[in-house]
Amino acid sequence: MAKRVLALREASIIVVTLVTFAYFAITLSNFLTYSNWKAMMPYFCFLAIMAAGEVWVMTLGEIDLSIGAMYLITPILFWKLDGAGLPLVPSVIVALLIAMLFGAVNGFFTAYVGIPSFVATLAMLFFLDGLALILTHSEQVTTPGTAVAHTTGFANILGAGTYSEFIWALGIVAILQVALSLTRWGIYTVATGGNRLGAAEAGIHVKFVIIRNFVLCALTAGFAGLLEAVRTSSITPDPSGSNADLLLAVAAVIIGGTLMTGGEGTIVGALIGALFLGVLQDGLNVKGVNATYEYLYIGIAIIIAMTIYVLVRRIRLGSGRA
Amino acid sequence: MCSSGVSAWGPAVPESTFAGERIEQLHAAPDDVLRIEHVAKRFGPITALRDINLHLRKGEVLGLLGDNGAGKSTLIKIICGFHRPDAGTMWLKGEPYAPRSVDDARAHGVDTVYQDLALVDQLTVFQNLFLHRERLTSPLPFLANRRMRREARRALDEIGINIPSLDVPVARLSGGQRQAIAVARTISGDADVILLDEPLAAMGAKEGTLILDLIARLKQEGRVSIIMILHNYVHVFQACDRVSLIQDGVISFDRPTSETSVEELTEIVVEEYRRARLAERSSAARTPTAALDSTG
Repeated sequence: MAKRVLALREASIIVVTLVTFAYFAITLSNFLTYSNWKAMMPYFCFLAIMAAGEVWVMTLGEIDLSIGAMYLITPILFWKLDGAGLPLVPSVIVALLIAMLFGAVNGFFTAYVGIPSFVATLAMLFFLDGLALILTHSEQVTTPGTAVAHTTGFANILGAGTYSEFIWALGIVAILQVALSLTRWGIYTVATGGNRLGAAEAGIHVKFVIIRNFVLCALTAGFAGLLEAVRTSSITPDPSGSNADLLLAVAAVIIGGTLMTGGEGTIVGALIGALFLGVLQDGLNVKGVNATYEYLYIGIAIIIAMTIYVLVRRIRLGSGRA
Repeated sequence: MCSSGVSAWGPAVPESTFAGERIEQLHAAPDDVLRIEHVAKRFGPITALRDINLHLRKGEVLGLLGDNGAGKSTLIKIICGFHRPDAGTMWLKGEPYAPRSVDDARAHGVDTVYQDLALVDQLTVFQNLFLHRERLTSPLPFLANRRMRREARRALDEIGINIPSLDVPVARLSGGQRQAIAVARTISGDADVILLDEPLAAMGAKEGTLILDLIARLKQEGRVSIIMILHNYVHVFQACDRVSLIQDGVISFDRPTSETSVEELTEIVVEEYRRARLAERSSAARTPTAALDSTG
């Protein structure tokens, strides 16, 4: 039984998250409370959504460094479109479409021009961060549809409701995990990441697969940005903050069990990875640890989680299942 | 240095040595499944294929021999639609044949087992068997894994390959088992022309026999025609009806295996090696002159 659980790709992050959770639950009297759960959700829900898209790119053996910038620019586009007189819902849709277009540009330069995705998306990161600062004149703006005395249905659905982000995260993770495991697109993603030439020889259009996955990744990141902007009812053009979120999302993907080399990915793992980072940040917060120490602890926790991942993986590979 | 060696080939080897066209006229038959005429292919400065003429009869097994870099794999990749030729024409079952892609070639009934096997290590046996030919459920297009497992088991049993589990990633299998899966993938399709790029590489004697038996059985059934690249002459005589030798981008020798011998083939290849050495030496001898020319 224990061996079967350990044979899961997500095994190590499940173990690490449970241990961390147990630690905080035992040492903190107010950790296992409803109000604390409500406080924890904003830490990991948007990360889980960003990570879910990033899994599709990292399973290809590529990386998208522009998801923090996508997360930042999409609500700003939404605000701009709304300001230009477009109704709320169309503004959301057009903003997301533009984010997807940026994703397609990432994919184009990676798949067709042959620039390493690390570089292509790094360029996109700076471009979008710059665009965000230009469009907002570097000033905080109010998210459209949220600045009213009573919260609207629009805002409640798109992030402001207590469980809105959580439900979106679970839904997106479920859909994308099913797509990765049970559809052609998912199999082609794994095949392209595992053996690009072989996949091409089998007849798979690997370049289309790459572009599609970058588009998906941009969409999830942009959507996560919209949810957060609506939840907090304001948009701060702060690239350093959004790029820290990028790194947390990538961390969630990796400690969740997706290989950086490609060919293996798990979206449920990335969700648990995001949950782990959420539990950690929230736990440290409740414990009263000085915010200055937070990144330091996250750094230590990631290296411990990855060490356990490597050890558990050895058991897994010996178990006859990968 | 290397490239000057290649360019020295032309003058060092008289064109008349390559009797590809003449041979084709001698042997071409109306029941050819595949005919290739004057196919050429360059990759930048490298000429992979100069002038290939080749034909394949229905139910025939043709062995393709040649040195490393002679153009065997390039020819296979042109026939299977992975590369497009720069020149020349191809006919498949009497119709003009110019595959736009691997998929297109497959739709025409031409399928390939690649030298690098085109297997994805991380995917399982049955996922590899059905790669890009996945069976889907309806109405929602999900992967019909149970059905694919069942069909994969049947296909492997039919071939007589013993794979312990269909759910292990192919990375765990031996070279021979991987090759067997790659072959199984191709022959379980609807192809009537099958191309095999070194199907016996990375195989133990026992596994190699398995693949040769498989090819013998396919030949007996007579449904498919096969071109395969081989290195071992003994295998050629075991498995093939006819043998073609590619040298320097043309087919220089083409004869039924019953009319030639291991000794003759060996002699031709050794002769080629000597010629290459000679060409190298004469190009080396010319180099100082060339240097003088350029400085003068």
